[in-house]
Amino acid sequence: MKTGVGPRVVPARRGEGGRRAPLTPIAMLLPAVAVLVAITAFPLLYELRLTVVSWALTTGFPPQFVGLQNFMRVFFQDPRFWNAVANTGLLVGVGVGLQAVLGTALALELHRLGRTRTTVLSLMLIPVMIAPVIAGFQFRMIYNDQFGPLNYLLDILTRGAVRGAAWLADPRIALWAVMATDVWQWTPFMTLVVLAGLQTIPVELLEAAEVDGAAGPQMFWRVTLPLLTPVIVIGLLVRVMDTFKLFDIVYQLTGGGPGNVTETIAYYTYLQGFKFFSLGYTSAMAFVQLALITVVAQIFLRYQRRVRAGMVT
Amino acid sequence: MRKRSPGRRLLTALILGAALAFFLFPVAWMVLTSFKTNAEYFSYPPVFIPKSFALTNYQNAMRLPPDGRGGLQGVRDSLIISVGSMAICVLVGAPAAYALARFRTGGENLSFWVLSTRMFPPVASALPLFLVFRFLHLLDTHLALIVANTIFNLPFVIWLLKGFFEDLPVELEEAAVIDGTTIFGAFRRVALPLVAPGLVVTALFSFIFTWNEFMFALLFTRREVRTLTIIVPSLVGGHEILWGEIAAVGVVAIIPNVTLALLLQRFLVRGLTLGAVKG
Repeated sequence: MKTGVGPRVVPARRGEGGRRAPLTPIAMLLPAVAVLVAITAFPLLYELRLTVVSWALTTGFPPQFVGLQNFMRVFFQDPRFWNAVANTGLLVGVGVGLQAVLGTALALELHRLGRTRTTVLSLMLIPVMIAPVIAGFQFRMIYNDQFGPLNYLLDILTRGAVRGAAWLADPRIALWAVMATDVWQWTPFMTLVVLAGLQTIPVELLEAAEVDGAAGPQMFWRVTLPLLTPVIVIGLLVRVMDTFKLFDIVYQLTGGGPGNVTETIAYYTYLQGFKFFSLGYTSAMAFVQLALITVVAQIFLRYQRRVRAGMVT
Repeated sequence: MRKRSPGRRLLTALILGAALAFFLFPVAWMVLTSFKTNAEYFSYPPVFIPKSFALTNYQNAMRLPPDGRGGLQGVRDSLIISVGSMAICVLVGAPAAYALARFRTGGENLSFWVLSTRMFPPVASALPLFLVFRFLHLLDTHLALIVANTIFNLPFVIWLLKGFFEDLPVELEEAAVIDGTTIFGAFRRVALPLVAPGLVVTALFSFIFTWNEFMFALLFTRREVRTLTIIVPSLVGGHEILWGEIAAVGVVAIIPNVTLALLLQRFLVRGLTLGAVKG
């Protein structure tokens, strides 16, 4: 993996450029920082203020101060929020895990290809590029229990041994159907990342291991996989952060249903904020999420910092 | 590792063939559906290849409800918003990325703070943004969506461009400064032309992210502005679902994505991992 070379400074700058030197870069940075502060700090503070009020936009009553009640409700009085947390957890734990395993397996196969590799990879990456909403639409047709191709193909391929299902309406299956859509869309991303890692492993290193008698599974577990760990970790972290925000395909496939078996954190927050318009409570939930995702983001940033500093790889 | 036994090669071909079929089937199904008549859609066993490949569904889709402009309005609005947000991101982002790459302005902490704003859950910032846009009477305008998308793309653009600037040899800019150019001159006349390919790649990524964006479009628009990502689910929610025509809108919606997936392949790793893996 070719990691960043670390920021370089123009050394001559300070002497030659005189007093203007430190000012220009600041001026160049200012608009961007201003935009980012305006659109992150301001809404955040505004929202923080909302967390301590009860304010239903629909009733027309002014906001009422309720102290920490909104947070208490999130943590202790709202099983539906924790249901959403559990669903999201399953999508992250099992779904992203599957993407990593399948993605790595496919990358290893792709790595064996010669000239056709680029073409196959390009085609495989189409799911990654398309809008999740459109992916959801495609699977909505595929899962259709009456006219969809999935039940038909299952029927003819297994000669009727496996009965099709109402994939999106059956509460025991719906969440797995959502997960399958996400796995379909993002497995190629993991393949791409792992393949990039594979291509930077020096051939000599693998040959040396081979000479030393490593082969087959041992070669993979003891030599290849450890070398791939940094890229896999980065790929996983990107996917975990994204899956945490999963909204689009839930909206398109199930709308959180049947009941609320497919409700994710993002989807439930959307319902509270934009269907029920309970602004205070939504803000409190948003802050809980922010805290959760900050933990993952910090791990990603620290890891990337270490990679950049050359401590990994 | 490099054993090339015919059996193993056949296995590789089989696995990858199955994988390709799996990853392309849903897309292919949408393309095929976009040519089907309603009778062909509602039949069992399902029709795989439609009888006619006439563009009827496409023509109808462009005039879909609510106001008879359906698909066309979606194409227009998605384009305006994606191009608008892309332009702002690059204009504001490029100088900032240069300052971070070459001068470490604000140190590592500032760079990482910029990146961390990317990880914000959109649903968390949606509510305050909604209230602000409502207050400014900006709901249901292109501007609201351009601003909202810029939030999420600017950190990405800065971070990716910073990587591209760092890849350039610093000597040329040094020479230009020694010859009396200002810092901004070195950026505009030396670094910027050299980083042009990176600039294009970054811009196209930000275009696609906005093109694919759904949640903000759902929350901040009503009737005047309707992106393609809004039109598709809203039609699926209707009473009488015209699958063929919705599929046609879907196909139109993924044309830029598929094109760019093929064009940008060399840069996909870098773009999709926020520059963490350069490939």
